[in-house]
Amino acid sequence: MNFTDTIAAIATPIGEGGIGIIRISGPKALSIGRHILRTPKSGLFSTIEPRRVYYGYVVDPEQEVTLDEVLFFYAPKPRSFTAEDVIEIQAHGGTLVLSKILQQVLRSGARLAEPGEFTMRAFINGRIDLVQAESVIDLIRAKTDKAHQLALSQLNGRATRYLQQIESNLYQILVNMEALLDFPEEGIPDLEKARIQTEISQIIEKLQQMLATVDEGRKIREGIQITIVGRPNVGKSSLLNALSQEEKAIVTDIPGTTRDIVDVQLQLRGIPIVLNDTAGLRETDNPIEQIGIQRAEQSLEQSQFILAVFDISQPLNDEDRFVLQRLEGKKVLVVLNKADLQHRLSLDELSGYHLGDPVLVSSLTGEGIERLEQRLVEEIGVGNLQVDDRPMLSRLRHRNALETAIEALQSFNFGLEQHQSEDLLAVDLRSALSAIGEITGKNVNEEVLHGIFASFCIGK
Amino acid sequence: MQQYEVIVVGGGHAGCEAALAAARIGVQTLLITMSPDTIGAMSCNPAIGGPAAKSHLIRELDALGGAMGQIIDRSYLNIRTLNETRGPAVAALRAQADKRLYQAEMTLAIERQPNLQLKQGLVTEILVEQGRAIGVGLKSGRKYFGKTIILATGTFLGGQIVMGDVKYSGGRQGEPAAIELSESLKRIGLELRRFQTATPPRISCRSIDFTRLSPQPLQRLEWGFSWNGLKEIREQMPCWVTTTTRKTVEVIQSNLHLSPIRNGAVSGKGPRFCPSIDRKVLKFPDKTDHLIFIEPEGRSTEEMYLLGLTTAMPESVQEQILATIPGLEHAEIIRPGYAVEYDCLVPFQFYPTLESKRVANLFTAGQLNGTSGYEEAAVQGLVAGINAARKVLGQKPLVINRSSSYIGVLIDDLATKGTDEPYRMMTSLAEYRIFYRLDNALHRLGEIGYQCGTVSESDWRFRQGLLNAANELEQFYQTTKVRMDASLWTELKLPPPNRGYRLNELIIRPEITEESLLTYYPEIAKYPLPVRQYVWNELKLEGYLNRQRSDYEEVSRLEQIEIPLHFEYNRISKLSQEGLALLNHIKPLSLGQALRIPGLSEGDRALLYIYFNNSQGAA
Repeated sequence: MNFTDTIAAIATPIGEGGIGIIRISGPKALSIGRHILRTPKSGLFSTIEPRRVYYGYVVDPEQEVTLDEVLFFYAPKPRSFTAEDVIEIQAHGGTLVLSKILQQVLRSGARLAEPGEFTMRAFINGRIDLVQAESVIDLIRAKTDKAHQLALSQLNGRATRYLQQIESNLYQILVNMEALLDFPEEGIPDLEKARIQTEISQIIEKLQQMLATVDEGRKIREGIQITIVGRPNVGKSSLLNALSQEEKAIVTDIPGTTRDIVDVQLQLRGIPIVLNDTAGLRETDNPIEQIGIQRAEQSLEQSQFILAVFDISQPLNDEDRFVLQRLEGKKVLVVLNKADLQHRLSLDELSGYHLGDPVLVSSLTGEGIERLEQRLVEEIGVGNLQVDDRPMLSRLRHRNALETAIEALQSFNFGLEQHQSEDLLAVDLRSALSAIGEITGKNVNEEVLHGIFASFCIGK
Repeated sequence: MQQYEVIVVGGGHAGCEAALAAARIGVQTLLITMSPDTIGAMSCNPAIGGPAAKSHLIRELDALGGAMGQIIDRSYLNIRTLNETRGPAVAALRAQADKRLYQAEMTLAIERQPNLQLKQGLVTEILVEQGRAIGVGLKSGRKYFGKTIILATGTFLGGQIVMGDVKYSGGRQGEPAAIELSESLKRIGLELRRFQTATPPRISCRSIDFTRLSPQPLQRLEWGFSWNGLKEIREQMPCWVTTTTRKTVEVIQSNLHLSPIRNGAVSGKGPRFCPSIDRKVLKFPDKTDHLIFIEPEGRSTEEMYLLGLTTAMPESVQEQILATIPGLEHAEIIRPGYAVEYDCLVPFQFYPTLESKRVANLFTAGQLNGTSGYEEAAVQGLVAGINAARKVLGQKPLVINRSSSYIGVLIDDLATKGTDEPYRMMTSLAEYRIFYRLDNALHRLGEIGYQCGTVSESDWRFRQGLLNAANELEQFYQTTKVRMDASLWTELKLPPPNRGYRLNELIIRPEITEESLLTYYPEIAKYPLPVRQYVWNELKLEGYLNRQRSDYEEVSRLEQIEIPLHFEYNRISKLSQEGLALLNHIKPLSLGQALRIPGLSEGDRALLYIYFNNSQGAA
């Protein structure tokens, strides 16, 4: 556990439109800010004064690519929310843009904040009093324990086996090195450095490929994935807003407004949930809308639970049936929206799909929303949560760990070229493995010890 | 009625260091041993150091004022460096000991130490009053009273010797075990378990065919284990190397049913890193060429030790095994190999100060605490001795932090994680290995040793000289501009640079060795070796050290945040029941230690962090 490094996260709920805030807190906040922020004339900020709002751009300094036009301000410690140095960047809010900026911040030396970590730091640094702290402690309890278990329990599927294979190859190398270091004169074979260098290069490549599979615009997932589907304009976004009681998705009556996936993190009766609002599912010629629909279908595939929304004020049409066909074999709760309008939908036809009892709601009046929450909690029933099979790299934290591992392995190979001694090479290999261990849950010291005795005949 | 301040039970490596440390600090100390003839005995391999972390332990022990380093530096048969090419963090030393000389030197040190009295006796009982140890009772009926008691019983506590299917009471071959003491410890509430260890046969030198063996090369070293300097011994005695053969493996395989690991004669857990040849054959049946080192045991004995051939098979099988090994075909066994099973403490019964949680003023050290090895025992003895003395003097206990040294790693592992096999120090057990080197042990611990009173004034003056010289040399590297004349660069096979370099920048390049610099900067050579090594490694490793430094410093900071001895954890609301139980069992003394407790949930760790990090200074 480390509370003295620099953390960053998207501090506002992610949604299309409006403004999104990236918050960076910790000793490196200012230097990271300087690194990625540019003046309107694309220069570096020579001075960044405390508590002044600046206008400029966030760039990827290596590629010299502009990511977004932003406002930002700097609050030095202790007069900030966390009582640490804080930089807040207000950007244009789109999921894709915000996550790109966040990734740039993380590449520049920050670590992704754990859930509730900003508040926790505020508390640690004495910015929050004890009354407020009680709730923070609950949050820490719930989040850290659950998140930890979740992180481990989500380890399955092909991607994981792939990573574990890489991990086990790395351990073979490390164990050989460590046995050499700890047991001189025991006839342990020397390292075949050329072969190891090739192997590490291949591993670096594999890890880079894994990174590349991450869909850049993917959400930060920290809870049970629930996808809302339905044909365009049945009121999915307004349902999402009603559930989260905030304006997050763009709600209009122009069909096809939601083109990307919009996430909302919320707690339903104590269960952390990520609601994914998707583009309306339908056949379309509009290429941009098609992309949105593709993503929606992906999200549908990977989701642990589905809220299927239909408009009760309209009879089922072909577009609805298009949606219904995609729900077979999934955990689904059917929601009939717009209950405040006249009911024209045939319940008989719907029941032919065997999707269970529908819930009647009106996002507009709020009628039935509480009942929906109740049903959702029952249906999800934390106990029978299906652990999914999606590639784990949808988690930004995992992405970070892999980036750290790649960097360490590159440094390892550089060290090999430079003929560095094994004790120093081990530093890099250990830090690569400890980064991967954040995903797989393995402890380097224990694995090494076990590996040495399993692999070599030690003992004079 | 005689009243002492510290009573040490046991004259092995832990007991000796404990008694010397307490007496040096200036408290009245009594060392009770069954036999004053076997003080500092090397019951197994007559060697100090070897595997990397063991030499580190001794340099650290020496920095803290321990005796083992100085004594081996005067009583070695040969001394060598190991692992030199593997890097500065794991470079190690190994000394073959003249075991009788070592014992004699240690006995003299004990006998001559002011404030320390040596006494023969068999302790059968720990006297406890109102939860505090107050003295010991002897077999003779005599009682000695002390303000603190240190137990360092080694393999003697409930010791049983095993050879084949023969099993009988004994602490070391030919010496009685301490039986009643086990019962006494159970009565006062300590929980015991069984561990075992074993040793190879010793053979007569004249029965070895040396023409079939190769000697290990000898080295002449400038510096040994102690910071005070190495005694030069001109005629070193080498160790010899041979290997087992296919026939050896066959003999062992056909006799495995007689091995204690198979016939059930041994129930205790043995060390994984020091398996018997039986176990090696069992586990790696395809390997036939196990290395065997034939090592002299001293100048005044013909006995030779067979490193790598540990076994507790019946003596007749041991003879058959030897007959299959080149050079040992006609070996005469003087002492057959055997195993010994003994009582030691179930984990988590002592604090990192080595004081018992159950019985106040009672300290434990060495094999009793679940470790294996002379070096591991010695460092615990020293820490127990220092803390017993400090308790008598009403001073704050000394906790050697995990972030300071291998000593800290060892004690923290025992106190926080426990061990289910005899624990041996290895460099891979330390998270920040490149910070714990042989060359910087004095920088890490010297001041602590001096403050404790275990390092004498005259030793400290000398050691301060080393520390100051290191500063001076470091400055020299950091301020000296590299000469631009071509010859240096030609020799280094590098193009002359286009800007001015300082020496410390130059030496970061991996191809630069100290030797290559000495021609151009002969002033470096005037510094003693440990000073040069320290400065060289600090500067050379700077990049790697800096990469780990912030993590390392954070870990060190958490070690400094103390948790009061009898802290009531239910004061921290929301800690889980499991967390509470763990914390009350381990009773950590620092936040750093608490956060390392295995099985503590992330949430509980966060709560502890927040609570103690916030209340630091306020509590």
